[in-house]
Amino acid sequence: MSVGAAVSNPLASAWRLIPGAWRQPLTVVGGILAVSWLLIALLAPLISPYDPLAQSAALYQAPSAAHLMGTDELGRDVFSRVLWGARISIPLAMLLVALAFTIGGTLGGLAGYLGGWVDELVMRGADFVFAVPTILLAMAVVAALGPGLFHAVLAVVLVSWPGHARVVRGLVRTTMESEYVAVGRLLGSPTHRALTVDVLPNIAGPVIVLAALEIGNAILLLSALSFLGLGARPPAAEWGSMVSTGAEHFEAWWMGDFPGLAIVSVVLAFNLLGDSLRDAFDPKAIIKARGA
Amino acid sequence: MAFVLTHLVPGDPAVANLGDRASADPVAVRIYREHFGLDKPLPVQYFVYLGNLLHGDLGESEQSQRPVSTDLAEYIPATAELAITSIVLACLLGITLGVIAALNRNRLSDQIIRVVSLGGMSTPQFWLALVALYIFFYKLSWVPGSGRLDAIVLPPPHLTGLFTIDSLAAGQFDVFANSIQHLILPACVLAAFNMGLFTRFTRSAVLEVLENDYVRTARAKGLPELTVVFRHILRAASPPILTVVGLAFGNVMTGTVLVENIFSWPGIGQYSYRSATALDLPAIVGVMLFVAIVYILVNMVVDILYGIIDPRVQLA
Amino acid sequence: MTTLLSVRDLRVWLDTARGPLPIVDGVSFDISAGQVFGLAGESGSGKTITALALLGLLPAGARTGGSAILDGRDLMTMRTAQRRRTRGREVAMVFQDPMSSLHPMLTIERQLTEHLRYQLGMSRKEADERAVELLTEVRIPNPEAALRGHPHQFSGGMRQRIQIAIALACEPRLLVADEPTTALDVTVQAGILRLLHRLCQEKDLAVMLITHDLGVLSALADTVTVMYAGRVVESGPTAQVMGRSRHPYTRGLVDSLPHPEAADRALVPIAGEPAGPESRPAGCAFHPRCRYMEPPCATAVPPLIRIDDGREMACPVDPLVASLAR
Repeated sequence: MSVGAAVSNPLASAWRLIPGAWRQPLTVVGGILAVSWLLIALLAPLISPYDPLAQSAALYQAPSAAHLMGTDELGRDVFSRVLWGARISIPLAMLLVALAFTIGGTLGGLAGYLGGWVDELVMRGADFVFAVPTILLAMAVVAALGPGLFHAVLAVVLVSWPGHARVVRGLVRTTMESEYVAVGRLLGSPTHRALTVDVLPNIAGPVIVLAALEIGNAILLLSALSFLGLGARPPAAEWGSMVSTGAEHFEAWWMGDFPGLAIVSVVLAFNLLGDSLRDAFDPKAIIKARGA
Repeated sequence: MAFVLTHLVPGDPAVANLGDRASADPVAVRIYREHFGLDKPLPVQYFVYLGNLLHGDLGESEQSQRPVSTDLAEYIPATAELAITSIVLACLLGITLGVIAALNRNRLSDQIIRVVSLGGMSTPQFWLALVALYIFFYKLSWVPGSGRLDAIVLPPPHLTGLFTIDSLAAGQFDVFANSIQHLILPACVLAAFNMGLFTRFTRSAVLEVLENDYVRTARAKGLPELTVVFRHILRAASPPILTVVGLAFGNVMTGTVLVENIFSWPGIGQYSYRSATALDLPAIVGVMLFVAIVYILVNMVVDILYGIIDPRVQLA
Repeated sequence: MTTLLSVRDLRVWLDTARGPLPIVDGVSFDISAGQVFGLAGESGSGKTITALALLGLLPAGARTGGSAILDGRDLMTMRTAQRRRTRGREVAMVFQDPMSSLHPMLTIERQLTEHLRYQLGMSRKEADERAVELLTEVRIPNPEAALRGHPHQFSGGMRQRIQIAIALACEPRLLVADEPTTALDVTVQAGILRLLHRLCQEKDLAVMLITHDLGVLSALADTVTVMYAGRVVESGPTAQVMGRSRHPYTRGLVDSLPHPEAADRALVPIAGEPAGPESRPAGCAFHPRCRYMEPPCATAVPPLIRIDDGREMACPVDPLVASLAR
């Protein structure tokens, strides 16, 4: 018999709650924004009016019907570049979070499950990375490996795994100490079974929340590195480096402001989603929604 | 630890610092390496480094050709002034908004505050800095664009290195006004992210406290609502808020790298950017050490404050 | 013996998408000075909500109707600021759980004197002197030292005494005690109850004692009102309501109590579960669990009818009520 299913399954209850969470207008806004950006990233080659790298004689054009967001110092269409920028930032951020979660989640899960010196080692490592400001470490890594988007991603993975490790470790720990896992052990189900049947469904919720929030942070940090000239290299249409170029042409505000707004809207979308999901997964909120 | 890490990274500091032209010249590279002791085997370098560290010697920056400790002493006060101002601003605004949001849960004001706070956490600081500069410096000319003081203003006599405090101590009110003008915009930009963070955390901490019976007890006494909020609710909600404020000292460094570069603020952020891109190892290690010390100090202060806020902590 | 508080047709409801959801549905009672008024019922019957409504401490979103006249002034229609001034000074409340009802991080002194200073404008010295007096009154040993302590340093019973001292500080005329002994050990319970009784008599204080424990009520209360599913089903002098209960629900409650003189008699539990606000049946809310149910019970809400022995009850099946109604 499955003790986990009999006692309580927060994940199942949370799923039942999500329709309620979706009724929150801000969640809907976040969801629509996120889906639109995902579509833009997929369809950019089809929907952008110009080639993002094509130069033209029309330099520094203010936004107009022909160029919705104007043109830049090389006569490239800013609107097309912003659309294409989604193809860099969003997939990279997702890849990065997936990598960071794989590394951090594995280390954190092992630390929480095995305890002892493994736990000690992993958590001290995490503490160390926490103590050093992310951007400083990332800058040093990129400087050592040489600038480039891929190196920037590696750098951000290196500084962002500890967050995942801590969350997963904490969740594994609390779940293993909880009563229903103890009951399962008393009933003779092996611990690894407890880990897959009982622990996994319980950590899925918080991990999804963390992932949504981390995608936003990853986009911010990647674009910051590109802004500093350590990430994407010209002429790539990357939002951070577009803002950086815009900074050199103050009077042509459209060059930097539209890519900046693009970053804000993508990150805000993921933050809104993560925030709403957190409300939905919050066990206390679940209890309240049940009317207990 | 920091030493090991910086030596693990591939990449030759000599090449990074000398530039393409000079690194093509083997003699220049050799002279450079001898100057910094880089020609000796790594363990030797490590023990030399450790020995120097014990004497408070962080080595010499490969870029500025000055002792790292001298560089740090020059740049730390500027960053401290900026970071502390921004965290104070973020606390005032974030905690207030968080309390308002929690007390009006799921009403319109909560939703508006939610957008504002998540917006603060979603806006890239480098872009916010540029927009702020564009509006308040370029268009409106309300504030000066860069640096800590106008070029013609002399810094106040050195006391703490924080120009606002030093100028007040010296009674130079015009210098004080000038330094505030320079400080306000970068501090606000830097505060945006933490404002959002503090708002979210305060909101959830206050919501948790609101469920406790003692809040009802306080109301049943007929105390005015403001007393209930500040003395009873906020007091009980403060430990988690304090933790986040402590953590903010870490993420404010990330912000300073970007904001100091944009506002030409001569602090640790700019210094660490220059050092990192030049692979100036002694400087990087120096900055990391400084940040680690701040991290430890802040944690200590947070622990002490815990004990003061919550009498039960001392028992545990 | 004068009536201090007169509650008439008190209603509390929530506005939901499916219309108003009644929590407390037309409750009336009188409380006199120097007496203990007992409010009984199972959890979910609306006892606590009734009390919170009197203090104006209902959770956000709850709507109220009816009146509660204290000294010619209606608590239910008072303005917020005026209402706040009655809290602590006219009506004070002691909550169920002594562990969570005191602020864990503030000293006893602060929690015992802040409303003295705010409400009565006492100086710090006056308030401290009064605090020592209060702690002595509720039998806290070594009151000066206790003032400097924090709640976690006291036992549950002591904390409940401190709660009572806090409630009494501004000399209210009505003390609402919501299950004041439920969270305590049986041995400690008796002490708290004796304290409430003594205060009631010495200070001419009216006590509204909310509990599901009928044993406590029959020992302490002068009058008792029994609630079920947000309505009053029976009320009157304790001797009548507890000793010779007539309403099937009250009788069920009394029968489910252990009896001191007949320890071997089997306890008779009431079948079924009490109905929550969302699932209250039509007509008499008790009818699905009632042994005497007759068809009209399921359709019409029985009115509260006064019968000659001084009690009021809402049960059309009862022969006395039926004879009066005819």
